Amino acid sequence: MTNKRSFSHELLPRQVLEIDACTQCGECLKHCPIQDVHKNPLIAPPEKIRMFREFLRSTDGLKAQLFGLGHVDPKLLEDFTKAVYECTTCGACGQNCPVGIFTQRLWPMLRKEMVKRGLGPIGVQANLPKAIADSGNPYDKPAKERYAPWFPEQVRIEERSSIAYYAGCTGAYEAQPMVRGDVLVMHAAGEPFTMLPPEEEVCCGFPLFITGQHDLLKDLVLRLVEGYRARDVKTLVCSCPCCVNIMSRDWPIFYGKPLPFKIRHITQYAADALLSGKLKIKSSLNESVIYHDPCYLSRGVGVIEEPRAVLRSIPGLKLLEFDRHGLNSRCCGSGGAARKVFHENAIAMGRQTIDEAVAKKADRLILGCPACYAKVNEAMVGHTNQVKITDIMELVSGLI
Amino acid sequence: MTIVVITAVYAAYIVFWARFLMHALVWWRAVQRSSPEVPAPSSIKACALTFLDSVLFARLFRVDPALWFAEWSFHASLLLVLLRHLRYFLDPVPAWVWAVQTPGLIAGFLLPFTLGLVFAIRSSRRDEQYTSRPNMILLLLVLLLSVKGLVMNLWLRPNLVDVKLFVLGILRLDPSPLPAQGLFLIHFAMALLLFAFIPTHIFTAPIVMMEARKRQQALRLVMHDE
Repeated sequence: MTNKRSFSHELLPRQVLEIDACTQCGECLKHCPIQDVHKNPLIAPPEKIRMFREFLRSTDGLKAQLFGLGHVDPKLLEDFTKAVYECTTCGACGQNCPVGIFTQRLWPMLRKEMVKRGLGPIGVQANLPKAIADSGNPYDKPAKERYAPWFPEQVRIEERSSIAYYAGCTGAYEAQPMVRGDVLVMHAAGEPFTMLPPEEEVCCGFPLFITGQHDLLKDLVLRLVEGYRARDVKTLVCSCPCCVNIMSRDWPIFYGKPLPFKIRHITQYAADALLSGKLKIKSSLNESVIYHDPCYLSRGVGVIEEPRAVLRSIPGLKLLEFDRHGLNSRCCGSGGAARKVFHENAIAMGRQTIDEAVAKKADRLILGCPACYAKVNEAMVGHTNQVKITDIMELVSGLI
Repeated sequence: MTIVVITAVYAAYIVFWARFLMHALVWWRAVQRSSPEVPAPSSIKACALTFLDSVLFARLFRVDPALWFAEWSFHASLLLVLLRHLRYFLDPVPAWVWAVQTPGLIAGFLLPFTLGLVFAIRSSRRDEQYTSRPNMILLLLVLLLSVKGLVMNLWLRPNLVDVKLFVLGILRLDPSPLPAQGLFLIHFAMALLLFAFIPTHIFTAPIVMMEARKRQQALRLVMHDE
C-alpha cells in the first residue's frame, strides 16, 4: 500500500517521541490483560509500537523525505489494526513501562490514524457515529428510555442548579442499578441538582474518541457544555469513569477553553457529602467486599482514595484489595470499546476478576463503572465461580 | 586492508549520523505541529525523579527489581568500559580518564557476567513472550565485544601505541597504519557495528521519562482541587 499522508499526522508531538522511546523490553507484557488471556505476541504493546515505527519510517523517515513516501505491507497494516483494536486501552502497560509511555492515550490516537486511513474501526464499532448522530447514544436506543426505566419517583430534578448529574449512556441503558444508586445518593445528600432532559443528554463522546472516530466529537461536547452552562451548573457529577475521563481531559480541548464547571466523580461527591455530614449511612453491612478500580478512573484521572473512603464509612464492612489495585489495577475486560467486538477476551478477563474476588473470599465484588458492571455480570453467567456484584452507589443507596 | 578498515570507520560514522538525522527529522516534524494538549507543569521534584529514572533506572526497579539489578549493572559497566576506552581517543589524556581506568578494568570483567544475567533473567520469565530480535542482536554484540576485550587484555594484548595512533589518525583525518593483530580488527569492526546501530531510544527515553514524571505529578490535579 502506498502512503498518501504521514503516519504521524494524528499523533501529538509527545507521542511521536514515545513511539521512538520504547526500548522493546517487554516488561509491559506482564501487566497486559490481553496477554493474560491469550499469549499472542502480535498484540503485545512493544510489537504494536515496532510495527507503527515501520509505518512512520515509510512516511516521515529520511528515505521518504528524499525519495517520496514509501510502501507499507498491507498485511502488516491489517495485523496492526486488529492488534490496536483488540487492546482494552486500560493503560496498565504504560503504568508499568520503564520509560513511562502514556499508552492509555497513545492507543486511541493510533486508532484515529487507522480510521483516517479507512482501516478502522472494527465490526460494530463502525456503527457508532450513525447511532450517536441518530439517537444521541451508542446503543441506538430511544431518548425516552434513557431515564424512565430506572429513575426513582421520589427524586425531584431542578430546572437550574449549581450541581448537575450526567447519567451516561452505558449506565442509563446497560447498568441501571448503578445510575439509580447515584441519583438516590445525590437525593439523600439533600442538595438540589439538575439533569439535562433525556433527549439533550447525548453521548459524552468517549466511544467515538476511543475508537478513533473523532468527527462528531466537537459537536457533542458543545451541545452538552452549553446545555449545562445554560442551567448555571458549576459542578457536573457523573459515575462513569470513561465519561469523567473524556470530560476532564478532552472536553476543554474540544470546547476550546476551560469548562465553565468542575467535573466530579460520584464517589468524590459522596465522599465529600459523608465528610460534611450531608450524607449518613444508617445501616451496617457485615461483609468482606473487594473493590475493583476502573482503569479510566484510577490510572485515567487519579480517583483512587474516594471510593475506598466511601466503602470504609460503611459500618461492619471489611474492605479487601485485589493484588493489582489503584494505579496498577487490572482491566476487567470491558475497556477500549473492545468488549462488543472481542467478546471472548472480555469474558475471560471478567472471569479473572471474579476468580480473584472469590479467591480472596470476598462476599461481594464492588464495581464503579457501567461497562465493567455490564460485562462482569455477563462473564459470571455460566461461570463456576460466583460472587455478588454490586455497584458502589447501588450499595450505598441501600444503606442510607 | 588499512584503507578498507578506515573506509568502514567513516561509513559507520555516516550511518550513525544518517540514522540520528532520520530520527531527528521525525522528531522535528512532530514538534513543529501545535499540540492541543496542555502540558503538565514542570517541577524540581519531576526533574529530580527523571534524573533517577534516567541514571538509576528507577522505573525499572519499581516494576522488576531483579531485571533492574542486571540491566543497571550492565549499563553502568558498559559506561565505565566506554569511558576507559577514551584514553585511545584523547591526547593528552585528561586526569579524569586516567581515574576511571581501574574502575573501567573491573567493569570490563563484570560486563559479560551482567549481560549473562540479563539473558538469564529474560529467558527464565515464562510470562514474557516478547523478544525483540534487534535488541537481542545488539546485546549479543556487546557480549562478544566484552569477551574479546577481556581476551585481548589478558592474553592477546595488541600494541596499544599502534592502536592509539590508528584511532587518533582516524579522528584527525590523517590515517595511520592498522595495528597488526587479527583479534583487534574483529573487536574494532564489531564496535563500529554497535556504533552505527546504537538504539535511538537513548536520546528520546529521558524526554519521555520527564513527561511521565510531570504527568504523574499532575494526575491528582485532573479531577481534584489543588
